[in-house]
Amino acid sequence: MTQELTKANINLYAVLRNLEDLCELDKDMKTLIKDISMRIKFVVKNGPKGYLSFEDGTCTFSKILDKCNIILYFKSPHHFNQMIDGKANPIPLKGLTKISFLKNEFITLTDKLSYYLKPTPSLLENETYLKNNTILTAYTAFFALAQVGNTDPIGKLSAKRIPDGIINVSITESNTGIHLIAKNGHLKAKKGLSSNNRASMTFSDIITTNKILTGQIDTYSCIATQKLQMKGYIPMLDNMNKLLGLVSSYLQ
Amino acid sequence: MQTYTYNENQKLFKKALNLIPTGVYGHLGPAEGCFIPVQSYPFFSSRAKGAYFWDVDGNRFIDYMCAYGPNVLGYNDEDVDMAVAEQMKLGNCTTAPSSIMVDFAELLVDTVEMADWAFFAKNGGDVTSFALMIAKAATGRKKTILVNGGYHGVAPWTQKLGYPGICKEDVVNNIYVDWNNYEQVEKIVKENPNDIACFMATPYHHPVFTDNELPEKDYWQKIRKLCTDYGIVLAIDDVRCGFRLDMKGSDHYFGFKADLMCFCKALGNGYNFSALCGTDALKDAVSSVMYTGSYWLSAVPFAAGIACIKKLKKLDGPKLMQDKGKKLTDGLVEIGKSYGFNLKVTGVPSMWYMRITNDDSLTLHQEWVSECVRRGAFFANHHNLFINCALSDEDIKLTHEIADESFKVVKNNHKEI
Repeated sequence: MTQELTKANINLYAVLRNLEDLCELDKDMKTLIKDISMRIKFVVKNGPKGYLSFEDGTCTFSKILDKCNIILYFKSPHHFNQMIDGKANPIPLKGLTKISFLKNEFITLTDKLSYYLKPTPSLLENETYLKNNTILTAYTAFFALAQVGNTDPIGKLSAKRIPDGIINVSITESNTGIHLIAKNGHLKAKKGLSSNNRASMTFSDIITTNKILTGQIDTYSCIATQKLQMKGYIPMLDNMNKLLGLVSSYLQ
Repeated sequence: MQTYTYNENQKLFKKALNLIPTGVYGHLGPAEGCFIPVQSYPFFSSRAKGAYFWDVDGNRFIDYMCAYGPNVLGYNDEDVDMAVAEQMKLGNCTTAPSSIMVDFAELLVDTVEMADWAFFAKNGGDVTSFALMIAKAATGRKKTILVNGGYHGVAPWTQKLGYPGICKEDVVNNIYVDWNNYEQVEKIVKENPNDIACFMATPYHHPVFTDNELPEKDYWQKIRKLCTDYGIVLAIDDVRCGFRLDMKGSDHYFGFKADLMCFCKALGNGYNFSALCGTDALKDAVSSVMYTGSYWLSAVPFAAGIACIKKLKKLDGPKLMQDKGKKLTDGLVEIGKSYGFNLKVTGVPSMWYMRITNDDSLTLHQEWVSECVRRGAFFANHHNLFINCALSDEDIKLTHEIADESFKVVKNNHKEI
């Protein structure tokens, strides 16, 4: 059973956060934000907070709240989740004059993100689509994993069992890397790889990553066939994988 | 030294993947067995004898995993196999159990110091689960105190909430304490009056990935007294340690008396059965619990068990294995030191745990172990290891040579050490 708070955290910190990478991976989206200077703050009562900043042709997500042009307020995690599902609207507290950005460019961005995160078999036959879908799915999954570990009741049990340290997760065929910092049962996901990691999980290629993350092949077989390499302090990865198993129930 | 290749292993594994979930499942599989990197390890054996097994590529390994414990005398031990062959002529799985079951029960009760009776099953997990049921039947209580990191099999109660397939109700009656922390146990017992049925632990702490820990002075004696004072059944999981520490039971080795003792791995030198031994006070409770299974009373493993226990007694197997383990591990530590590696050895030498402590990720250790495996010394990098009685001084010498070359390879790859 999914929890509204965990789902809201995932929606902001894992799904919307992906706009960062979307604007790097997709040329059209990069062009779309080229001249835009905008900061949107998301405030969810009793839930996650953060902002998306569009500056100098890049998109950046941050949890540290700063000055912004637009503030979107949500009454509860449930309200925010409903907005993500297209069933509710946010309450704009600031930036009424910027509504056109929200209705145009921002909608284009989120629609494109949905396009990449909701693949069809025919779309996956396109190599570029497959790559973008895989990278965005991987970022979503591993950022979501940290949220599941921090707030989901069962997830918290697995997070507490991850020994302190840093786990690197990477895909060999791409520059995709993420590291998960575990400390006293709390998890933090960050882009890029750490040189101070205690364990690592390396996917051999894009197709394998895609198949593992979408449940088309099992992790154990991939370890045995070297398509997924694990090394270092394995109890960290063992418990992290149990969290990864819970993520799918939130991202259906 | 020539390093091994595994072409036939890989071919067979690909075939297995089509037929068996994960190809080789459980702790003997490459994922659970932590084969890191996978390409350094064999997946399938073709035969075994004494201290060795051969893989399907014809590579020979000095086996320091001993089938994760069952190989205690040496593979295909002639005395055990002869007893098996004789029993096979007489019968194995029959409607009325063979009289040899009683012979084995008598031998076990005469061997294990605390035992007034013996009950037989097939797996370590069968008898640890049965021990809990007996404790609950005898006390009318529901909770069990277990040690964090302890391993008692794969039944749902032995696993954790958050693991696939496990729900809250499976583990709701488990209370966990840290190893060697008597005060925690005492506190829990006092906070749960008349609720604790059982305290279950291994005789010493041997979790995976972690240094093994022997009991502190008087730990078991204090636990024993607490259990007696509060009417709690003290069950010892001797599935892994049994007959590698002491023929009279590992409780005897550490100077206390358990109420229930679970045995399996070394009982029949690979022939499959397990045994629960207990005291007279629990005999009625045992009888009251419905517990059995297909093949549980088959005769062949009892024949193997009689031959195995008698030979272990004759050889003084536990001392023999401890001596061999000490000789082996002392050498490994010294060789490692000469290359700048700190190889830490913990636990009892007949089933020791080792890790290179130069980093806290086990990466160097995994690299060194994989180099040893590729040269014919089969270690696991995450688990305690095992000695068997067939291991010779020549095998130990060859293992030291393999370890030396493997340390040299890792050193060359890590000039910073």
